[in-house]
Amino acid sequence: MRTSSRSAAFLATWVGLAALVVWTLGPIAVMVFTSFKPREEIFQTPPTLVPERWTLDNYAYVFAHSSMPQALLNSVIVALLATFITLIFCTSAGYALARYRFPASRPLALFLLLGQMVPITVLLLPLYQLVNSMGMLDTLVGLAITHLVITVPLVTWMLRNQFASIPVELEEAAQLDGGSRFDAVMYVTLPVAAPGIAAAGMYAFLQSWHEFVLASVVTSSLASRTAPVALTYFTSEFLVDWGSSMAASVVLTVPVVIVFIALQKYFVRGLTSGGVKG
Amino acid sequence: MSDKPSRSLTMSTRGPQMSGDPRRTNASRAAGRRARVGLGLTMPAVILMVVLTVIPIFSVLTRAVSTDGRLAFGRLLDSPSFGQVLTNTVIWTLVSVAGAVLVGYAAALLLHSRHMRLTGIWRSVFMIPWIIPNVVGATIWQWNFSIDYGLANRVLQDFGIISAPIGWLSDPTVVLYALAIVQIWFTAPFAMLLVSAALAAIPVERVEAARLDGAGGLKILRYITLPAIRSTTGIAMLTLVVWALNSFTIIWVATAGGPAGSSTILPILIYQAFQVGDAAMVSAVALIQLAVSMVFAVIYVRAIRSDMDEVTT
Repeated sequence: MRTSSRSAAFLATWVGLAALVVWTLGPIAVMVFTSFKPREEIFQTPPTLVPERWTLDNYAYVFAHSSMPQALLNSVIVALLATFITLIFCTSAGYALARYRFPASRPLALFLLLGQMVPITVLLLPLYQLVNSMGMLDTLVGLAITHLVITVPLVTWMLRNQFASIPVELEEAAQLDGGSRFDAVMYVTLPVAAPGIAAAGMYAFLQSWHEFVLASVVTSSLASRTAPVALTYFTSEFLVDWGSSMAASVVLTVPVVIVFIALQKYFVRGLTSGGVKG
Repeated sequence: MSDKPSRSLTMSTRGPQMSGDPRRTNASRAAGRRARVGLGLTMPAVILMVVLTVIPIFSVLTRAVSTDGRLAFGRLLDSPSFGQVLTNTVIWTLVSVAGAVLVGYAAALLLHSRHMRLTGIWRSVFMIPWIIPNVVGATIWQWNFSIDYGLANRVLQDFGIISAPIGWLSDPTVVLYALAIVQIWFTAPFAMLLVSAALAAIPVERVEAARLDGAGGLKILRYITLPAIRSTTGIAMLTLVVWALNSFTIIWVATAGGPAGSSTILPILIYQAFQVGDAAMVSAVALIQLAVSMVFAVIYVRAIRSDMDEVTT
């Protein structure tokens, strides 16, 4: 009796696991397999998952004949710019909010965090006009600036928690040895916080890498179009090219997955710190 | 504005006629300097966010209450599709949040199970949809949902669940739910992550004690596990609701709000007005969306405050 209910629970666990794996990885498998299918197989009914004949034609098309290489380069530049600016502003603010107690610190911390509650579509027109008034429409820098509205709130929060978790005694010890507070932060606190800062930077990079709405209105020419926007051009023309579309999707996703696997420990800690303890 | 207290502090301590404990004066001067440094380090980020959010919101508000804006409100309320957009927004939010909570909870409880092996690896696997770019996910699902060539219909027909292919993205009565499935696929991992963390925080002794008292798996779930993760549930749902309300990319890439407006929610409506250059309409709809967001922002601030106190003190 007892063993049978145990094995039933065991079975239920593994059936549930199988269902979740199919649900999670099924669409990704479709993307990967379709990207290796020749055109005639893609439009074959009934559809199959695994290609009968594997081909790299779709990838060749994406890299040789589409705007994707330029778009990927644009995405990298925009994301690096946005990450760099974000880290400068947020390391400063995050450190101050963790270490200094001043009258406005709580309201200001809340204000910064609340930035993530503002819907991007609400800001769409004003941000477009702001970039326009700076003469930066259709430029990579202009787009990177708008991405700050997405990255700054949570990165400030992540870094604040990161600095708060480092004992202040470390800095005080360095100051007792004759260094200034600035030295203490530069040579003691920042190196200790480096993994957290790297994770926050990765978060900012990915947010910018994923971003679609702002990119679709701020950029217009091939010279500044980013990869997420370029991807939609594969399917919005008359002949929908699903093979190349899926190949481009894979290209857009692979770097993200690699980064995530490498840094997932820090990610998980940083992102849950705003919501739950522990 | 906020540096007033510190400035008055330094001014009062500077006066030579001030008598009192010199050590205390030094201490308060140091405190004043610290406050200024703290404020100075925080201000760049604050000013940046004021320029990127407060000023834009102000410009939306002023345009929305201008004559043009009020006329746009009139047009909006007169148009028969506006009611549909609101209904769509509510359905979309309810379905996608409920789905993400269900899937996220199931995944978290499964990972927490005693029969589970290699938990860390499975957790990473289940996290993957969350890091896939929205545009990519929307494109994949658009292909999965293709009537003739998509695997969704093929699989369901093979298992005999449906007899005829479903027009996932072309049938006006289905499209919103089909898109909600995509949103659930993207956001359930987040719910799983939060719930997993809360489950890990439940003391093992409590579960063991209940088991010794003869409680079975379901009773433990009902009386120990679920109450222990209630506050996490609140925060997870709040975040999911905000994401659903602000969601744009999935719907826009897959259907652009169609067919015939049957998957148009508020953010899509704003974008469509932006595309045709109707600035007054953009601001009118944006004001409505902002009002909805404000409600959740207030709840969010209340929830986050206690968490913030813990970090600073």
